[in-house]
Amino acid sequence: MNALAIKDLKRSFGGIQAVAGVSFNVAVKEIVGIIGPNGSGKSTLFNLLSGTIPPSSGAISLLGKDITRQPAYKVARQGLGRTFQIPTPFINMTVRENLLAAAVEGEWRSARSRADEVLDALEISHIADDLAATLSGGQQRLLEFGRIQMRDPQIILLDEVTAGVNPRLRKIILARVRDLRERGKTFLVIEHDMELVRTICERIIVMDAGEIVFEGTFEEVARNERVIDAYLGRPET
Amino acid sequence: MVRVAMQLLVQTIIDGLLVGGLYVAISIGFSLAFGVLDVVDFAVGEWVMLGAFAGVASRAWLGIDPIAFLPVVFIIFASIGLLVAPLIYRVRTSRYARPALMALAFTFGIAMFARGVMLTGVGFDPRTVETHLVGGTLMIGGIHIPWLRLAGFIFAIVSTALFMGFLFFTRTGLAVRATAQNKRNASLMGIDVKRLSGLVYAIYAGLTAMAGVLIGAIYSFTAQVGPQYSLLAFFVVVMAGLGSVGGVLVAGLFLGMLQALVTVYVGADYTLAIVFGVLFLILLVSPQGVLRRGLAA
Amino acid sequence: MKPRRQTAFSALSLIALVVFLATLPLWIDDYWVRVWTGVAMWAGLAASWNIIGGYAGYISFGQVAFFGIGAYATAILMQPGLDWNFFLTLPVGAVVAGVFALIVGWPTLRLRGAYFAIATWAMAEALAQIVNTVDFTGGSFGLSTPGNAETDFFYYAMLIASTVIYLLVFFLLERSRFGYKVKAVRDNEAAAQSLGINTTSVKLQAFVLSAALPAVLGGIDAYWITFINPQSVLAGDITDQMVVMSLVGGLGHLWGPAIGATVLYLASTWLNARFGSSTGYIAMIGALLALIVLFLPDGLVGLMPRARNMRLVRQMLRLPDKRTRAAGQSSGASGDRP
Repeated sequence: MNALAIKDLKRSFGGIQAVAGVSFNVAVKEIVGIIGPNGSGKSTLFNLLSGTIPPSSGAISLLGKDITRQPAYKVARQGLGRTFQIPTPFINMTVRENLLAAAVEGEWRSARSRADEVLDALEISHIADDLAATLSGGQQRLLEFGRIQMRDPQIILLDEVTAGVNPRLRKIILARVRDLRERGKTFLVIEHDMELVRTICERIIVMDAGEIVFEGTFEEVARNERVIDAYLGRPET
Repeated sequence: MVRVAMQLLVQTIIDGLLVGGLYVAISIGFSLAFGVLDVVDFAVGEWVMLGAFAGVASRAWLGIDPIAFLPVVFIIFASIGLLVAPLIYRVRTSRYARPALMALAFTFGIAMFARGVMLTGVGFDPRTVETHLVGGTLMIGGIHIPWLRLAGFIFAIVSTALFMGFLFFTRTGLAVRATAQNKRNASLMGIDVKRLSGLVYAIYAGLTAMAGVLIGAIYSFTAQVGPQYSLLAFFVVVMAGLGSVGGVLVAGLFLGMLQALVTVYVGADYTLAIVFGVLFLILLVSPQGVLRRGLAA
Repeated sequence: MKPRRQTAFSALSLIALVVFLATLPLWIDDYWVRVWTGVAMWAGLAASWNIIGGYAGYISFGQVAFFGIGAYATAILMQPGLDWNFFLTLPVGAVVAGVFALIVGWPTLRLRGAYFAIATWAMAEALAQIVNTVDFTGGSFGLSTPGNAETDFFYYAMLIASTVIYLLVFFLLERSRFGYKVKAVRDNEAAAQSLGINTTSVKLQAFVLSAALPAVLGGIDAYWITFINPQSVLAGDITDQMVVMSLVGGLGHLWGPAIGATVLYLASTWLNARFGSSTGYIAMIGALLALIVLFLPDGLVGLMPRARNMRLVRQMLRLPDKRTRAAGQSSGASGDRP
């Protein structure tokens, strides 16, 4: 059984085909990266997977269950977690309250102690009582990552989770990703940072203009002519 | 018998269309202000009310016929709008919790303030704007068309056309449309969103006040009449879908007709209930225009 | 974590407040008991508005409809021929109001706040018009309720009803799981959904709660003033005041509505006594609302030194915040807030 099975997914907005027939599978415990130029449909794909927007056609199944067209909250309850390209903390709550809010649809009694654990693991205990609105961009991304951990989803979508994050926080996030994968989680990662992609992704899917143009390991992707032309660019000589 | 019934129907529809034109005039500015400032201006009805009182004042204090006074009304209220707009803009763009709703509350506050001041100043008595420049009734095949209402309708069409002309054929108009579509990109392209917002709001205030003079000539009004017209403007904009100028035209005329039909065939007491019922149904069925912009959390 | 001394202080002041309010009729005359009955009612009304407006972040301009439903439920059921016991009429009003909120809320809460504000406003106006026309509500002539001269009875009725409301708000919204859900929906609906929260259902629950509570107050009010008509219990001015009281006092804060209600209702009573008209009051609260939104969005509560909201005020004024500096990161939020 695949963690995620996507079949011929399509989505148009008006006349524009944002996602034009995407099919791929993600196995359990895999870390798959999705790269491609801006406007290639990556974020739309994530929105389709998380149930934020419905597909025009196609099917998505999560751990064997069909989740096509289910609203976002139901998909989340089936075991999918995601971060957003622009961080979305609960700005009127403190960091700790943000984490507690993430636990409302799960085990409540242990929420407080679990929140403390997450705070420790992400090394943000010292700002636990600060309002999320006062956090820096990098800290907000970390917080979003922490919120996912409170829910313990099986499959996690990370949307440019390390963009604009300083190296120290980046290392923490990467360590946690590896740690969670050891515990059986599956990751789908949108990234522009090639260094990160090389370090952590086992398989890479390249998208352009709403379609998948290539799939393979980092080395294969880096060598592929079409990908280089569309996205990576040639190295400076 | 059938001919009389037909005549009544046609008369009612014509009456409705004529007043619908004025609803369009109120709603177009309001819809655009919504698009550019991203704020529901709860004071829209008060601009109408204040305009109507300005019409009364022009005759009572200055001896000038209100219709001739229209351009002055525009200037006065556009200027007031220019003063108010930066405040709304500031609230709307503050890095704060729920700035959209705070801005809404702000316009609500100034609407209440305007209403309270007018009520204290002029009391609860109903007034009408008296004009001698336009009067009499046009008769076409048994249908009565009072010149005043026709004038109001013509005013509405002309000002709407001018407004559209400004939007689609001038460079500033292009900037306004670009900003209404996407504020962030507009400012990245060098458009001074703040100044533009002020301009749009000023035009909207002036236009709505002028419509108020004409509405005040057709219907009697009190200082409390504001919320009624705000509701009508809201209805038009919700039905039309945000930012759709053509939609406002259709929706405004439709609202006028609906109101006239309900008044004649059901009873004036039920107009508001039926308008709300229609509004409710629209929200239930959710035409794409309303829903797409409406679901942004 | 609050230091022990502060908790003791809060508890003591709360007890003092309770004692003060409970014994009020013993040491002031009837006129002032009536005034404070009004304060109690408005404190409760504002608090119920705060549930949907402050905690859930959906500004409703139609709450008066629920107040009116409660008033009319009680008045109708106490008419000669039906003669219900007063206390039994209150739950009826609450249920009817709640069901009404469910029907109206279901399509409108899915949309943006501005549409919800418009729709609720339209709903209240339409309801007022229908009540004005229909027979069994007495039309524009209104309804009378049986007289009851016990001023103290009504004071305690309002006080207890409002106290229950504040307790509900405290237990349901300040500390509980449900409270976190509501506040998450308010702060960022997309994020809340991605965490498994059924945001529409949460909004509906908050709305129904915010409807049932003012209905009870409306029922008591109907019995109290012995005569109701659409002007007195379904007027838009009533919602306006609920909105302003909550905003002036402090949105989304437990005590905000109480502070706002007390200040504004006492001001209106004074203005009425002094100048005999209420139109000046309307102008005043309109101006006050505009000023508060401009300069003190956290409301009067934001002026309290220990209020957590103070941090937001500090950020807005760009005063240095020691805590974030110590962490070694630069402060400053990112992203747009639509």
